[in-house]
Amino acid sequence: MPGILIPLVILFPWLGALAIFVAASFWPVDTVEDKALSERRAGWQHGLAVGFSLAGAAAALALLAFSSSDIALSIAVGGGNPVLSAIGAMTFVPDGLGVFLAVVASVIGSLCVIFSVDYMHGEGHLSRYYALVLIFIGAMSGLALSSSLLFLFFFWEITALTSYALISFNNDDPKAVAGGIKALIMTQLGGVGLLIGALVVYANLGTFQINEFLARASSLPAGLLSLMAFGFLAAAAAKSAQVPFQTWLPDAMEAPTPVSALIHAATMVNAGVYLLARFYPAFEAVPGWKDAVVIVGVLTALLAALMALAADDLKRVLAYSTVSQLGYMVYAVGVGGVFASQFHLFSHAIFKALLFLAAGAVIHAVGTRDMRKMGDLGRQMPLVRNVFVIGALALAGLPILNGFWSKELVLEAGLTGGPAWALLAMLVGAGLTALYTVRMVWMVFYGHARSSLHVHAGRSAFMNTALVPLAVAALLSWLLAGTFASFLHASLPYHDIHDVSLLELVKEIVTAPLTWVAMVVVAIGLGVGAWSARRASGAGIELKRSENVFVNWARASFGFEWLNRQVVSLAKLVGRGLAHTQTGVLNWNVMGIVLGLVLVMGLLAASVWGQTF
Amino acid sequence: MNPEWFTPQNVILAGIIGLMAVGLYGLLITRNLIKIVMVLQIMVKAAVLALVLAGQASGRAGTGQSLAATVIVADTMVAVVGLALAIQIRRRFNTVDVSEVSTLKG
Repeated sequence: MPGILIPLVILFPWLGALAIFVAASFWPVDTVEDKALSERRAGWQHGLAVGFSLAGAAAALALLAFSSSDIALSIAVGGGNPVLSAIGAMTFVPDGLGVFLAVVASVIGSLCVIFSVDYMHGEGHLSRYYALVLIFIGAMSGLALSSSLLFLFFFWEITALTSYALISFNNDDPKAVAGGIKALIMTQLGGVGLLIGALVVYANLGTFQINEFLARASSLPAGLLSLMAFGFLAAAAAKSAQVPFQTWLPDAMEAPTPVSALIHAATMVNAGVYLLARFYPAFEAVPGWKDAVVIVGVLTALLAALMALAADDLKRVLAYSTVSQLGYMVYAVGVGGVFASQFHLFSHAIFKALLFLAAGAVIHAVGTRDMRKMGDLGRQMPLVRNVFVIGALALAGLPILNGFWSKELVLEAGLTGGPAWALLAMLVGAGLTALYTVRMVWMVFYGHARSSLHVHAGRSAFMNTALVPLAVAALLSWLLAGTFASFLHASLPYHDIHDVSLLELVKEIVTAPLTWVAMVVVAIGLGVGAWSARRASGAGIELKRSENVFVNWARASFGFEWLNRQVVSLAKLVGRGLAHTQTGVLNWNVMGIVLGLVLVMGLLAASVWGQTF
Repeated sequence: MNPEWFTPQNVILAGIIGLMAVGLYGLLITRNLIKIVMVLQIMVKAAVLALVLAGQASGRAGTGQSLAATVIVADTMVAVVGLALAIQIRRRFNTVDVSEVSTLKG
């Protein structure tokens, strides 16, 4: 049964993408403006996208019942061909980590598609938009379920490519194109780390199977294993926008908001954390690796929280907050709390998707992302305000929302397995989170209206259909903690995850003194936020920022923006340099062919020579 | 030089390498489309010789020779089409220099 469901989870969205593209290509291009006809066509595209994404989500949910640690599906690649069969089989294992990430990707994916029906209403290029989103959903599920390191890498790259294409969706906006290229280059940089790791595994163990590697990791030479461990850390940091690669995520906010919610908050950016959690048993013993992971997590969580505090663009605040929360997850892996990190990933995917979609509803209604122009929107859009506040409180970590339980679990893990300074820094981060959350909610929904923005009462039925389930989930998803733990415990043979019930978890969290300390810190953050909001109530919480050195520093990502820009321009420079090899002169191409031939012959001769002597 | 090297096989092998080298050299330096067709012919002749030699060496001379005959026929087509293209290009662009014909330049 799982052997059928796994391809369905991946193929339903991909078939949907194909269907939308094929449908669009059959329509004759007519220059006559026929509004009814184009409406009907758009309706078809919306309908196909929603239908196929929901089918994928249903298949993923059904897969939950069949989780196991065994290979459920194995597709041999290349048959008898000796070169191709070295790739190994394309295998899928529906274990706890993978199935759960696939469920998050396809369920939140389908909610984002439903949200898009209203959000993208009347926009052009719908078939490109939906096709890319659906390809992404399928690839993300594939990434989560794949148990072959090579195919994990392939799916990883597909998600990077669709992310790039969707960030640059408005391709006549130079900012969107630049953001897309930056995201592509930064995540590719990490992809190299992943590829190196995969090749090291293959060269030493002769297989790409992840579970086989986890079982035999200690048989690898120590130097190679640590090369792999740090390669994977770089891959994860680039994908999850961790220090020092974090600046691509805020720039990715040029994407349409449902895309930001899906790719840049709920799923793709989690792939890095997922990778670290998946390979934690193998790298645990590598000297310095856990410390490096903790440092990356702590630095990211703190710096990104400060940047969120200094940003004025609603989506950028949410992006920095995502980076910061991902820092919490990375930190949790570093201190050995794999379950805590995955549970926080789960909670964060829900409440951050909710926040992004609600922000999308606001942006769609008022037509700007600048929070300085907003204010007092709550009265005009009560439902959006209510769900946004639920999401924001979950982000701040207030009981009894899902963010509270998972964040406390992360801090708990830090207490038992991590250094004290890191825990202290994370507590400060929790306070900062509460502070920027209050600031954001206040500037958007409360206080006085700071400009005469009109809320366009557009179609919002589909938006609300997507927002309400997410808000309910943000309230209740923590009830699944026990199920989730036993789920991971049962299907992950190499991870040491305890099978605890929900009641035990709740008791553990409520009775821990650390929880109360964290609560006090969060309360201070909320209090400071509310106080400064009230004090500045005339104009919202607008500081005199242009003169503030610190704010300017935070806006420049503490210098990392410069670093990241250098990397991007270096990549572009290399590209332009290599372009000179494409002369279009036949003789040079022949030269290239001859040199290639000589090289291959030389290699063959060398290997023959090496074998005979 | 050791006279034992001058076996028929080695002489033919040297001929193959020589023909191939002449062809490659021509391909590298010429931009005249007609000359390109000519040097391609020379390289294919090297390949034909190699087929005959391989058939002889493996003891299946018939196979090698029939393959060689096939290649000669197929290669004649290439020459014919190539020269026809050269005529068309000469008519359209008034030149047979391939570098002046390439309009797709980056």
